[in-house]
Amino acid sequence: MENLEERIEQANTLEALEKVRIELFGKKGALAAEFAKLKDVPGPEKKAFAEGLNKNKAKLQAVYDERYELLKKEEIERLLKAEAIDVSLYNNLNEKGALHPVMATMDKIIDYFVALNFSIEDGPKVEDDFHNFEALNLPKNHPARDMQDTFFFKDGAVLRTHTSPVQIRTMLAQKPPIRMIAPGAVFRKDYDITHTPMFHQIEGLVVGEVGEVSFANLKSVMSDFLHYMFGDVEIRFRPSFFPFTEPSAEVDISCIFCEGEGCRVCSHTGWLEVLGCGIVDENVFKAVNYKNVSGYAFGLGIERFAMLLHKIPDLRMLFEGDTRLLEQFR
Amino acid sequence: MIVTRTWLNNFIDLSEVSDETLFKSLNAIGLEVDNIRTYTIPDKIIVGKIVSVEKHPDADKLNVCQIDIGSDVRQIVCGAANIVDAQYVAVATIGAKLGEDFEIKHAKLRGVESEGMVCSASELGLPDIGDGILILDDSIGELIIGKELNEYKKLADTVIEIELTANRGDCLSVHGVARDLSAVLNLPITDFDYESQSLEKLGLARVSKLETNGVIDASVQYVMANMEEIHTSLLFALRLAFIDKLKLDALENILSYITHTTGVILRAYDVSDIDLENEEKVVINLSNNEGIINVFINEKPCSQIGIKQIEESKANENSSRVLFEASYIQPTQLVDIVSEHKLETDELYYNTSRGSEPQLSFSIDYLTYLFESYNKCKLYNGVISLDNEREDKIITIGTDEISKLIGHEIDKSEIIRILTSLGFTVQNSNEENFGVTVPEFRHDMENIQDITEEIVRIFGIDNIDAKPLQFKEAQRTNSTTHKYYAKKELRSRAVAAGFDENISFAFSDKKLLEKYNFPFIKEELDIINPITTDLNTLRTTISINLLQAAQRNLNYSQRSTALFEIGTIFDENREEKELLSLIYSGQKESEYVGNSGKPKNIDFDSFVRKLSAILGNFELRTSTRDNALLHPYQSADIIVNNQICGYLTKLHPIVRDDFDLDETFIAEIEFDALIPKHIDAKAISKFQGVYKDLSLVVNKTIPYSQISTTIKSLALPLLNKCYPIDVYEDEQLGEEKSLTLRLFIQALDKTLDDNDIDSTVNRIIETLHTEYGATLR
Repeated sequence: MENLEERIEQANTLEALEKVRIELFGKKGALAAEFAKLKDVPGPEKKAFAEGLNKNKAKLQAVYDERYELLKKEEIERLLKAEAIDVSLYNNLNEKGALHPVMATMDKIIDYFVALNFSIEDGPKVEDDFHNFEALNLPKNHPARDMQDTFFFKDGAVLRTHTSPVQIRTMLAQKPPIRMIAPGAVFRKDYDITHTPMFHQIEGLVVGEVGEVSFANLKSVMSDFLHYMFGDVEIRFRPSFFPFTEPSAEVDISCIFCEGEGCRVCSHTGWLEVLGCGIVDENVFKAVNYKNVSGYAFGLGIERFAMLLHKIPDLRMLFEGDTRLLEQFR
Repeated sequence: MIVTRTWLNNFIDLSEVSDETLFKSLNAIGLEVDNIRTYTIPDKIIVGKIVSVEKHPDADKLNVCQIDIGSDVRQIVCGAANIVDAQYVAVATIGAKLGEDFEIKHAKLRGVESEGMVCSASELGLPDIGDGILILDDSIGELIIGKELNEYKKLADTVIEIELTANRGDCLSVHGVARDLSAVLNLPITDFDYESQSLEKLGLARVSKLETNGVIDASVQYVMANMEEIHTSLLFALRLAFIDKLKLDALENILSYITHTTGVILRAYDVSDIDLENEEKVVINLSNNEGIINVFINEKPCSQIGIKQIEESKANENSSRVLFEASYIQPTQLVDIVSEHKLETDELYYNTSRGSEPQLSFSIDYLTYLFESYNKCKLYNGVISLDNEREDKIITIGTDEISKLIGHEIDKSEIIRILTSLGFTVQNSNEENFGVTVPEFRHDMENIQDITEEIVRIFGIDNIDAKPLQFKEAQRTNSTTHKYYAKKELRSRAVAAGFDENISFAFSDKKLLEKYNFPFIKEELDIINPITTDLNTLRTTISINLLQAAQRNLNYSQRSTALFEIGTIFDENREEKELLSLIYSGQKESEYVGNSGKPKNIDFDSFVRKLSAILGNFELRTSTRDNALLHPYQSADIIVNNQICGYLTKLHPIVRDDFDLDETFIAEIEFDALIPKHIDAKAISKFQGVYKDLSLVVNKTIPYSQISTTIKSLALPLLNKCYPIDVYEDEQLGEEKSLTLRLFIQALDKTLDDNDIDSTVNRIIETLHTEYGATLR
């Protein structure tokens, strides 16, 4: 019996153990041989003999089970080990692309205004003089037209110099009240370190009944929007001039690079100019035949926001499809 | 527009106003401070008076000067040639620091003791105003020997550059800026007034006359002077240097200085040759020629008012007799005339087109004062003038309307105070709505909103409380909104498929479009003024922009470029359309252990699967396009919802070489076709289905799409799916190929029996045999 237990203990693999199992527990195994002897045992001893056999069998079975569990565990362990991989070899596979930072910034801006129940509107890139200038209180020869170097076509059309013509189109197509934004590409004939012939703007327009929409409302929404975009910054409104709004203001945020101390980015003023806004000029309403209304409008350059938000040093690199820039946003 | 602190001080007392308040006030009223330069002169630099100048015994170019510095007379060796003309100079005494590591010390120059240094303007940190040492004169204040130079605030001034908006012609002068400041700082403005002291005996009226032809819609004033030895004072030179207008000619400097100070356009004509002794007269003729006011003097054309002056008519510092003209012309009418006639203009047109100062006597008085105080010039008695009387512009305003526009209650008294301080005259202020007369220098004022802007500027935006707008909620999503979100979704999928988002200019090089056989905008609709030749027309494809980007990336040693762009393109008629354009160039995946650092280049299979991850399901059919980027045997039309909406292709090897690229694939799809359509769900079968594979032998030239269309047209009710899983060609098959289709057959309402299956399969086999001669393999 001792000897049988030893044979189980000595099996080092599951195969060896299986062999031992057959030798011990099989039909022609050692235990079967022992049980065969039972028929030769005289009557009165039979019971005790059988009990002894069963006891031994149970004991052997327990030893076997324990051995099996152990070897099985070792076997799985070995299999798992064989499948080991250095996972860190697969770091940063770079399988995903990136949204363009300008487009991602545009998305972020749109999210804000859509959440405030603004509609999104658009218009053509090739515009006529009426929508791009005339209706926006920019009559021919107005000095402010100089501010916008325009691409002209042979038939008198222009590439829109701002998203503002979408205001005009929307007002002509709809009735007040209006709450809209118009994101999109605009074009100016200017190409240097800080200018590209195409860039993106977002325009906003709110029109309500006369006396309903005020400069104080504009101040409120612009401040909230800039906090949403730039976090805890100081905001400054400066009176300014745009032909299509009056009163007009330019809005600055405290420089996010130097926190207002003064640095190269803010030209040592401590402030960064980020958008323009104002109360819609009555001449604009006249051009679209709106009466007894009031409204505010605002506009901003998306590249400027993207560059400030992500500290992108050069405007022109945004238009070169340079994957060294883009992959940073993956 | 550039002003300085002390220059402003001529008109408004800023002594109690700190720099910080000054800059803040300018910004607050819309005169944006663009740049501030503060000049400080180091300590121990003092006024010295030259007692004597002698040549240095051992050096030709050096002089030994004895200079009275008040406490003492110092010997200083000086190398500047203009020391011989000088009386008062800036002396840096021992211990003065002219820079980080430049301290004045006791020195010996070629054996001669020197106790200090005579300084030039640039050595003091001031702008360059001429060669040699700085010669002081009393234009900067009374010269007191020994006084520290940094106490002369006109030297150590603060220069403020203002970014002026296009509507504020009235602030194109120091006086104009001071006038605006006086309103916000609540300080009085000092008007300039001067009575001539010594005049020529002759009256101007006796020696000249003014004639007009036609309507003269401008105002002019003329005075005449006999000139002698005029010079540019230190103060003028310095201030003109601050505004970058310092010239060599003293008369030109005086004119610039007066215009910059007063805002009035001032011109000078040389009338030295007119023989007044012999009864000749100065005859000024103003003629209206199609709105242009021409000035002739003794029949010679001299200038066009507000537009330009003819070079030959200009007086200079050597002219003995000069006729001065102050003029004003309404800017709005002027710009129309100039643009209509495409007239050439001079430097002053910038001021006249934005609105110069209409109060002409201001500049004439200033000129008279300057000539008599600083120069040996005498003016003829009297002024010849032509006044174009304009009707007062009156705007009716109401406190309530203004307050509503601003969204903040502003007292009537405050409105009146602000407008009065800005030069407006208030009428009938007891009534609810009242009139205000606009000062002539504010030609930009037209309506109540203009007035409201003035109130906002001076009241201060900071003092207006922000109030959220109460508005009516409404369903404001529209088709553009939906399109935007569809685009955003599509962009996210392109990004997930490994493409980077690109933005390129919506322009193209017409030559390239022609070369690659893309359409281009009709000649008569093209851009007149392109920015560069390689952006000389609108693009009709985005793929060329993407190829250029891929080429740039390859030049930066990037081994793979995957870009997509959703942007506008234009057709021949300049109609706009949005495209999703994609490029995949080079390695199809990054280098990593999985490919032993040697990834394969992009191929048709990988590209199409990436595209499918972005677009969802689409069909491909043999391409019907003909642009030169297409590979004739690896290109296809893309079909979504049964419509051809784009193409994909392996880049033609010739084009690949043009751009020096590796294997490259491109695709362009019309964005509108990709907007998700509404979907209704179909019933799903609860019964088991069967897969059946059919291997057919069919002619090589028959594309799968034809077979697929034919099978679809059978509309077999049990055929759930059918797709190709293998194609095989070899010599034995010759002109034929073996195509294996997998069919999935399933019924909605029952478990299939063999008959059902066979009838479906047989229908397909029979039809393909009839249509294409296909046989079972």
